[in-house]
Amino acid sequence: MAVEATTGGRLESARSARVKEAFVGYGFVLVPMGVFLVFFIFPILYAVYISFHDWGVLGKVSTVGLDNYSLLLEDDLFWRAIKNTLYYTAGVVPVQVALGLFMAVIVNNAIRFRTFFRAAFYFPSLASSAAITAIAIYILNADGLVNAVTGSNQPWLGDSDTALESIMGLNAWTTSGTIMLFYLAALQAIPTDVYEAAAIDGAGAWRTFWKITFPLLKPGHFFVLVLSIIGSLKVFDQAFIVSGGSGGPNYSTLTAVVYLYQTAIQDVDFGYAAAMGVALFALIFTATLIQRLLFGKAEIS
Amino acid sequence: MAILEEAAPPVEIPARTPVERLRRILVYLLLFGVAFLFFIPFFWSVSTSLKTLTESVQGFDLLPDNPSLKAYREALTSFNFARYTANSAFLAVTITFANLVLASLGGYAFARLRFPGREALFMLVLATLMIPDQLRLVPVFQMLTNWGLVATYQGYILIKLILAENLFLMRQYFLTIPKDFEEAAKLDGAGYFKTYRKVMLPLAGPALAAVTILTFQGIWNEFFWPLIILQDESKYTLPVGISNFVGIYNTQWPELMAASVIAIVPVALIFLVFQRYFIAGIAAAGVKG
Repeated sequence: MAVEATTGGRLESARSARVKEAFVGYGFVLVPMGVFLVFFIFPILYAVYISFHDWGVLGKVSTVGLDNYSLLLEDDLFWRAIKNTLYYTAGVVPVQVALGLFMAVIVNNAIRFRTFFRAAFYFPSLASSAAITAIAIYILNADGLVNAVTGSNQPWLGDSDTALESIMGLNAWTTSGTIMLFYLAALQAIPTDVYEAAAIDGAGAWRTFWKITFPLLKPGHFFVLVLSIIGSLKVFDQAFIVSGGSGGPNYSTLTAVVYLYQTAIQDVDFGYAAAMGVALFALIFTATLIQRLLFGKAEIS
Repeated sequence: MAILEEAAPPVEIPARTPVERLRRILVYLLLFGVAFLFFIPFFWSVSTSLKTLTESVQGFDLLPDNPSLKAYREALTSFNFARYTANSAFLAVTITFANLVLASLGGYAFARLRFPGREALFMLVLATLMIPDQLRLVPVFQMLTNWGLVATYQGYILIKLILAENLFLMRQYFLTIPKDFEEAAKLDGAGYFKTYRKVMLPLAGPALAAVTILTFQGIWNEFFWPLIILQDESKYTLPVGISNFVGIYNTQWPELMAASVIAIVPVALIFLVFQRYFIAGIAAAGVKG
C-alpha cells in the first residue's frame, strides 16, 4: 500500500484504500453469496412459480393457476400425511423436552461420572439417523430383542397400529440429547446464589426445582420447544427408511415430507410437489418466525 | 462453552444422613439404568455384527459364540458398502474443506472489512437459515436436473459448498478477536489476504474446529439430500446405502448391523476426541432453527 503517500495525495489514497477494501470484501463473500442466492433465495420464488403450473420432468406443461393448491385441499393422502405429522409432533415434543430437561437437571448435579453420563445421553443425537433406524428395525422386528425381553410377538414397525408410535418413541429418545444440551446451557446460566438462598430457607430438592429452577428456565423452555416442534414437523429419515419410502403399512408412517418426496421424486409431479412444499413452508416458517421473534439474538451462546 | 466436559465446580451436598445416602444410591442406579438403556441398542448391534446369520436369529446371547468379521467383509464387498463408505468420506471431507475456506474468508469479510451493503448481505445469510429444505426440494432438484448435476457428486457438493451456519459462526468468532493484532499487521504493510491468512486464521482455532466437526458429522450423517441427488448406486453414501439395503435384504441382520456400525463409529471417535468443540459449535449454532 501507498505508505509513502505525500500530504497532497493522502485524501486520494484514502479513497482508493476504501475502494480496495470494498472490492476485497465483495471478493471474499462472492462465492457464499452466490450459493445462497442460487440455492436458497431464488428457489423460494421458483417454487412458487412452479406451483402455479402443471410441471413434469421435462419442465412446464401448462399454467394451472391455483389448481395445485385446491387439489391439495381435497387430497386425502395429503391430509393423512398432515394428520400423521401433527400426531407425531404432539407426541414427540412433550416427551423429548421432558426427557431432555430431566437429563439436564440430573447431569447438572454434583454427581460422579458426570462427563460419562453427559456423553452417554448425548451420543444418540449425533449418530447417523439411518444407522439408528436400521438398529431399531432389527430390535423391533417380530423376532427381535424387544419382543424377546417383553415376551410378545408384535411386529412393531410392520403393524399400522404401532409403526408410527414406534418411530415416535425412537426419535423422542434419540434426539433428546440435543434438548439436554440446550437446557444444560440454560441451567448453567442460573446464578448459584438463588440456590443458596433456597437452601437457607430449607427448601427441598423437589420444591427448589419447581419454584426456582423451572421458572428461571423460561427463555430456555421457549427456545427448546420451538426447536423441537420445527424438527418434528420435518420428520423424514426414520419414516422413509422404516417403510422403504412407501409410508406404510397402510399409510401409518406417511409423514408430510415423505409424501412430498413421493410426489416430487417418485411421481415426478413437480407442480403439485412445489405447492405442497410451499404449504409446508408456511407451516414451518411460522414456527421458525416465532422462534426468531422471541429469541432474535442467540440466547444460548 | 465446554458443557459436556467440566463446567461449574460441583456443589457438594454437605450433610449425609442415611436417607440421603439411600437417595444417592437410588439416583445412581437410575442413572446407570438409563445409560445402560441408551447403550444396549448400540452394544447389541455391534454384537450382532460379529455373529453369523444363523446365530443372529437363533437366540439372544449378548456375546457372539465365535466372533467373526465375516459380516463386515460381506457388507463391504458383496453389498458394496466399501464404495458407500468411500463416497461418504470423500463428500464429507471435500465439503468440510470447502466450508472451512469459504466460511472463514466470508466470516472475516463480514466481521472486519467495510463495503457498501454489508449488513444487508449479512441479513440475507441469516435469512437462508430460515428456508426449509422441503421448500427447496423441487426447485433445487429441477435446477440440478437442468444442469445435468443429478446423480453426480458435484451436484451435492455444490448445494453444500457453504453452509450459512458456518459463515455465521466464523463471523461471530472473528468479532470477538481484538483488533490490535490486525493493526500491527497493517503497519507491517500486510494486505487483507495476508492478514486473514497469517493473523486471523491462527487465532480462530476453536471456531475452525467447531466448523470442521459439525460439518463433517452433518454431511456424514445426512440422508435427505444424498437420497434425492445421488440417485446412482455407485454414488450412494452410507445412510442411503443402509436405507437401500433395508429395502432389499431386510433380514440379513449381521451385515446390516455391520454397515450401521461402520456408519456410527467415525462420528463416535470424533466425538470422544473433540467433545468440547461439538458443544461449543452446537451452542453457537443454537440460533439456527
